[in-house]
Amino acid sequence: MTDPVLQLAGISKRFGGVQALQDVDLVGRAGEVHGLIGPNGAGKSTLISCITGVNRIDSGQIHLRGQRIDALPVHSRARLGIARTFQKIRLMQQLTVFENVAAGLSAKRFGRASGWLGVLAPLSSAAITGPVERALEVAGIADLADVKVDSLPYGKRHFVELARNLVAQPDVVLLDEPATGLTDDERQRFSALVCQMAQQGTLVLLVEHDLDLVGRLCDTVTVIEYGRRIFDGTPAEAQDNEAVVRAYLGSARLAQENQP
Amino acid sequence: MSRTAIWILRAGFVGLLATIPFAVDAFWLNMAILALIYSLVVYSVVILTGFTGLLSFGQAGFVGLGAYAYGVLTVKGVSPAAAAACGVLLPTMVGFLLALPAARLRGHYMAIGTLGFGILVGQLLNNMVDVTRGPMGLLGIKSFGFDRVTWFYVVLCISLVVMAALEYLDRRTFLGVVLKSVKYDEISAAACGIGVFGIKLIAFSASALLAGSCGVLLAAYMRFLTPDLFVSAESFRYLMMAVVGGVGSASGGLIACLVLTGVPEALRAFGETNVRLLIYGVMVLFVLWFLPGGIGGLLDRLIANRRSPVRAFKTNELPLDGKPAPGRVA
Repeated sequence: MTDPVLQLAGISKRFGGVQALQDVDLVGRAGEVHGLIGPNGAGKSTLISCITGVNRIDSGQIHLRGQRIDALPVHSRARLGIARTFQKIRLMQQLTVFENVAAGLSAKRFGRASGWLGVLAPLSSAAITGPVERALEVAGIADLADVKVDSLPYGKRHFVELARNLVAQPDVVLLDEPATGLTDDERQRFSALVCQMAQQGTLVLLVEHDLDLVGRLCDTVTVIEYGRRIFDGTPAEAQDNEAVVRAYLGSARLAQENQP
Repeated sequence: MSRTAIWILRAGFVGLLATIPFAVDAFWLNMAILALIYSLVVYSVVILTGFTGLLSFGQAGFVGLGAYAYGVLTVKGVSPAAAAACGVLLPTMVGFLLALPAARLRGHYMAIGTLGFGILVGQLLNNMVDVTRGPMGLLGIKSFGFDRVTWFYVVLCISLVVMAALEYLDRRTFLGVVLKSVKYDEISAAACGIGVFGIKLIAFSASALLAGSCGVLLAAYMRFLTPDLFVSAESFRYLMMAVVGGVGSASGGLIACLVLTGVPEALRAFGETNVRLLIYGVMVLFVLWFLPGGIGGLLDRLIANRRSPVRAFKTNELPLDGKPAPGRVA
């Protein structure tokens, strides 16, 4: 097993009277696709927000590559290598696809002390067009580079968000229900993308309700219910776990019959 | 429009502006110089509101600080060059300090906060009689010794250079994308690794720098200042010019500034009553109704090399390696 990239230990978060997360542990390794599943309101999106820094945790520790990050602001964590997509897609609507993806370069550029030197460089310089065009190509939207995001159909916007993540070459990618509203073709393209990211050594943390997809893509799943972790293991093990079945799966099949 | 046509249009516009001193009388030359000086503060609104999405109702405060810093120092015998440097630096520093709390505010709250700053400066200029001579006005300001025509060309060059720089920044640079990311979606921008607060500090300081420069030029040109020139109503006038110009467009802002400075004067033909202000107001309303993107939006539509967005609407085809995808996954 590779070294853990992301380590959460004893994460708790309370919103007023609601204990959204209670003592949650999670270990994510490089090159792993890690599913995060659970019923609605279980705290999956809250956990994502705690990792990215949108929400401050009440107690616990978050380590990224051994460095403690739970006190850092959102943009600093992004610069250290955490990228995310949003449950409700967040893109700069009035900007073109190219500009949106270029914004994703900020994480790498401002992460360096010399990052500010290049900010007046033209967008057409190779340092920007190179990585952006590569990310667009990998995401399969190279032909949409000059289109404004607000004229794009919903499915394509998912891929713009993904390209914006790809361009930053992050260590950890957090995907919050990324397959919602995708057509079957797009879903397949999405699966291929996730596999590709994992192969390149990225930890992909996937929050998703499509259990079919989770079962197929994920190496590990963490199941949370009422803010507590109730299971951590492979999809096949989750299938046989009574608590998981009772809390979430019901009659759904998580492990594929043809899976080795 | 082709590239050459755009360049001809630009050259024509600059040429037209350059002939103003030969075409008009002293009154209109004076108005043109003032309009060009005020274009700097319109650019400051373009940076703040147009590029970064922050609303300031206190720009007149920065102009006032710059103008009075320059004015008071030259009256006290400081050389105009040194005074001008101070007149630019002081508002920039104050802008940075104001941004420390103001950049934490959002939307309407920021508008009210900056409005408060504008009123504060106005009151200070009026009441610090020992320094500013208050309502009596500041007399005896030294200047650079330019004649009127020289003044015109100096401020024309400054205005055009700043405009070109802002247009370049907005459309072609990485920083332009960073600023607009903050404008359109702060949460998304932060997730991309953009330090939103830092960007707002920079935008505020840069905006105050431009507004302060406007103040310095104003003081050096007019050589007489009263606090009335920097009341809050002026802030709204600058904001209105920027909005008519299309908020995010420096070139639109320049044109709006020239037109909106000239029109009320031209309307004096209707007499010195408020009728001219009524006509002026209705004109502005019509521009906003029929040109929601402002003058800048109109320019963009004229110039846009119409790239067909048709590809964007052909959805549902993301072929994987050229093979048609099977109907159902898994």
